[in-house]
Amino acid sequence: MIQIHNLAKQYGQRSVLKGVNANFRPGTTTLLSGNNGSGKTTLLKLIAGLAKPTSGLIEIDEHQGEPARISYVAHQTFLYPSLTAFENLAFWSKCYDLPDDGNQIYDILEEFNLLPFADTCTRSFSRGMSQRLNLARAFMLNPSILLLDEPFTGLDSPSQELLRQKLLDVREKGTCSILITHDIFHDASLADAVLRIEGGSLSDVSTETLQGSHPNLIDQFNPKSSTPCGGSV
Amino acid sequence: MWRICLAIIQKDCTILLLRGSSVLHAILLGLLLIFTFSFSLSPGDTLSCQTSATIFWISSLFCLILLFNQLFAVEETNGQRFALSMLPSPPFLLWLAKTATGLGLLLISQLVFLPACIVFLGHAPSPNTFLITLANITITDLGICSLGSLLGALAQGQASKESLLSILLFPLLTPLLLAGISIHSQCMEGLQENISQWFTLATAFDCIFLASTSYFFSFIYSDDE
Amino acid sequence: MYLPFLAIGLIGIISAQCLIFLYAPIESTLGISQKIFYIHLPLAWWGLLAFFLLFATSILYLWKRDLRFHFISLAAGELGELLAVLTVATGSIWGKIAWGVWWTWDPRLTTALVLCFIYGGWLILRTMEWPLVKRATILSVTGIIAFLDVPLVFISARIWRSIHPAVFTSNGIGMTHEMILTVLFSIASFGLFFIGLLLLRIKTLEKELFIESIINRI
Repeated sequence: MIQIHNLAKQYGQRSVLKGVNANFRPGTTTLLSGNNGSGKTTLLKLIAGLAKPTSGLIEIDEHQGEPARISYVAHQTFLYPSLTAFENLAFWSKCYDLPDDGNQIYDILEEFNLLPFADTCTRSFSRGMSQRLNLARAFMLNPSILLLDEPFTGLDSPSQELLRQKLLDVREKGTCSILITHDIFHDASLADAVLRIEGGSLSDVSTETLQGSHPNLIDQFNPKSSTPCGGSV
Repeated sequence: MWRICLAIIQKDCTILLLRGSSVLHAILLGLLLIFTFSFSLSPGDTLSCQTSATIFWISSLFCLILLFNQLFAVEETNGQRFALSMLPSPPFLLWLAKTATGLGLLLISQLVFLPACIVFLGHAPSPNTFLITLANITITDLGICSLGSLLGALAQGQASKESLLSILLFPLLTPLLLAGISIHSQCMEGLQENISQWFTLATAFDCIFLASTSYFFSFIYSDDE
Repeated sequence: MYLPFLAIGLIGIISAQCLIFLYAPIESTLGISQKIFYIHLPLAWWGLLAFFLLFATSILYLWKRDLRFHFISLAAGELGELLAVLTVATGSIWGKIAWGVWWTWDPRLTTALVLCFIYGGWLILRTMEWPLVKRATILSVTGIIAFLDVPLVFISARIWRSIHPAVFTSNGIGMTHEMILTVLFSIASFGLFFIGLLLLRIKTLEKELFIESIINRI
């Protein structure tokens, strides 16, 4: 469970987030939307621990008796261009102390259709291939919290479908996923809740926008009995 | 935890030694410096031992600057430093890994510089001071790598990172360089009484800066704005 | 706040010149050239104190995360660098007359010169494109690291070699009462002027931040 209390973030004199409150439960997927520069990425960075809040608190509960493992898919791919796809995954696997038999890495490469490129330096990868490897890295770590910043960017249709399936799979396993998207109607089928950041505050638009403006999405969008995310309105 | 440190060292060595020419660039720069200083000699002349020792350490320093720039530049290409910041380990381990890799690569470079100095500048440490020379190089390298690691991390992302690193590093290293040059020079021309004072100073420098740079690394390398 | 310090300090420095040239006796060995000592010593002492202030406020900034400490360290760093450069310049002039060379290897003079280089690099860091808080953190860390180096620089220069005249030795101060009074007066006057400049610079730095915040809001 991620609990955010009265979170505020300023960059110099510019206030990006103001008094954000939210809860994110395990086994849920939340879409995060908002205009450019509204603070979506900042919120993800704060949850990932890459930035410190100006005020407020983020509490992240332990997962199955261990500290929560956070995977973050950012705009940047975190890949070393001089290393092969296999070496890149092997490095992060060692860093997170994952079982070291190599098969797991080949399995995940195969899952993301990258096995033929396992021994190719990622320098020669296209944008889409790099993004696939980036996603492979994120899912390989078996995260309890998965933060995805516009993960569909650069992916072809089969890869987008694969990512959707993977997101549904990890939700079943209890992973808490937060996904930034500009296309909330298209991605709504994945989500338990949709939050919007506007003017530094978070609001729950699950019911208002999706049901009000696009009634045809109600069938796809099926929120769980209790809303997992409570945005400060 | 130490597995993370070893993984970073292994990754950096693979990138710098096997997949790129960064180490070669650094070694070549050092060699060129030594070779260029040999122009100052007329036929039959030799430089003083102190000058020879100074040239050795200047070459090592310039080499170090290129090495540490490259060691931290590899974490910048695709934002890898963010992913490293998220590892379940203290930032101290990243500092340790970078310092250890830098130290190893610098020692490899000095294996080339040392014979080059003998060939081009005409002075060699006497055989009975081999252990003292080794101890001097290790202690001095440890100090300059600890500071190089902190300041290398600091200079990343700046347009003029090489010159920035040189401007910051050179004056801070003055005491250690004086110790390194003095001991190295004595190893070539004969030991003097004050050698123990220099070793004490160099060890004190290492203790102070290993402790402070490992502590302050997390302040410098955090992404918080 | 800063004006009284600047005014009294300036009057003090002018008065100190009268004491230096009219009241203090001419030193028997070094002659008239020794008069530069009354300016050289306050510059060196207040310069070192400025660097210590930078060190102390850097620690306080990292501890409390209060930008006021950062502004004090910035102001102290700038003034310290200025005073260190003047120390080296006056020391070099004195050296030329006393020892016949512009520059010689002396622990105190070398330490002052190395400090000029170290804090010159520190000042260059100020111009780098970092967000305010990150820049404050980086400058604080380097401010602490730089000051930790000061004793080591001094000791290393002393082991290397030294010819500096020992003003304060274990046998006594080596000066007449008039000389002591003049140098103390000079130190106090420079000190008041230094505090005035420090306060003025802190105020301008705070104003700069205020103006920046208004521009950002627009």
